[in-house]
Amino acid sequence: MAQARRVWLSALGSRLWPIGVCAAALTIAIFSVPSGTRAAGPEDELPDGDGKKILVSSCTACHDLTEVTKFRGYYDRKQWRDIVVTMMDYGAPVDEKQVDILADYLAKHLGKE
Amino acid sequence: MSAVLYRRLLLSALLLLPAIPVAAQVRILQTNSQGDNIHLIDPATNQIVGEVKGVPINHGAAGAPDGSKLYFSSEAEQTLHVVDGKTFGIIKKIPLTGRPNNISISRDGRRVYVGIVSSPGAVDVIDTTTLEKVKSIPTKGGIHNTYVTPDGKYVVAGSIAGKVMTVIDQKTEEPAWTLFQEGVRPMAFETNADGSTKRIFVQLSDFHGFAVVDFAQRKEVARIELPNDVPAEKVDKGPFNASPSHGLGVAPDGKTLWVTSRPNARVYTYSLPDLKLLPGSVDLGGRPDWVTFTPDSKRLYIATENTDTVVAIDVVARKEITRIKVGKSPKRNITWVARGTS
Repeated sequence: MAQARRVWLSALGSRLWPIGVCAAALTIAIFSVPSGTRAAGPEDELPDGDGKKILVSSCTACHDLTEVTKFRGYYDRKQWRDIVVTMMDYGAPVDEKQVDILADYLAKHLGKE
Repeated sequence: MSAVLYRRLLLSALLLLPAIPVAAQVRILQTNSQGDNIHLIDPATNQIVGEVKGVPINHGAAGAPDGSKLYFSSEAEQTLHVVDGKTFGIIKKIPLTGRPNNISISRDGRRVYVGIVSSPGAVDVIDTTTLEKVKSIPTKGGIHNTYVTPDGKYVVAGSIAGKVMTVIDQKTEEPAWTLFQEGVRPMAFETNADGSTKRIFVQLSDFHGFAVVDFAQRKEVARIELPNDVPAEKVDKGPFNASPSHGLGVAPDGKTLWVTSRPNARVYTYSLPDLKLLPGSVDLGGRPDWVTFTPDSKRLYIATENTDTVVAIDVVARKEITRIKVGKSPKRNITWVARGTS
């Protein structure tokens, strides 16, 4: 009886080991992710710089960043500057000194190729 | 019957044929603000039955009353795309003064009015016969939306940056009067029995509701806030482009006004003309944007931008019928009634 039980448990163990490995991997994955981690957003695709700081702090208070990145590849610097000025008219908290920094950044990283 | 008489009857019939109106075709045109395509929905089946391609970052939409053409503004290319009403192929791209937002068409289909949101702002006027820009009406601040009043006598332009609504005389194409000192968002029009404009319902920046404008008096007569009847944990915190209520419409039968709420993800119904809130708001499952009705006032279509969906609603029952998957970030929509003749 004891022999039969050992054989049965052994067989069961050999069948369940892949599930055990997966469960362990999942547990490691869950506990190794920092609590503040989020899915990659459009800002992650943009290189760092002063322009990005202005973009993220001043634009996303009112709308998602996709409202900016949707124009990727379409506008030259003059047109990006026009967008910045229009958004300032809407109330975006961008001061005069930041206009050209932001326009330069947008033209460089999202401008016409 | 003699051969001569037969030929005369046949000729008469053939001559009369072009004058017999074909049943109007109704389509819901749904723009996709982060895409380059526009979907056409058949309200009889709630299925997508057509697609216009090649209009990047499309914003405004208008349809010729005779069914011959469609017009879409492209923010990316800063043009008005003219599209064949049957093949959906692009006929022409008309350069504009600056970056466009919403558009409208005159009742006779001869003029398209394009809101130019770039500073300093304007309403570009397009002649639909020559397909050329024939005028640019200066405005105070960039223009977000343009509307032609139901009687066709005025073009109403709303500016967010200029914080003003400008009423333009359609005949002279010159500003007639202005109102507001707040950002002006979508509008809806109520008519008198003779078809003239009675009131305009206007959504404003940072206001969760709408203002009521008496058109004859040229002044705001009321401001109505939408209910805060959704549990706090279910309220969407945004961001909402400083426009928590963006999208409203008067049913063509003039009996109800429908107003959307982004934080509540709902549409609320008010009876007209008394503006009494009716029970039974409809959960839209996402951030609502523009609304449009079928001409018989039986169905309402609401774009929900963050779910890439259009919600079809039974107007009488005030209940959802279905949700239609469309393109990326759907916003403006219109009902296109093509009254073509064969």
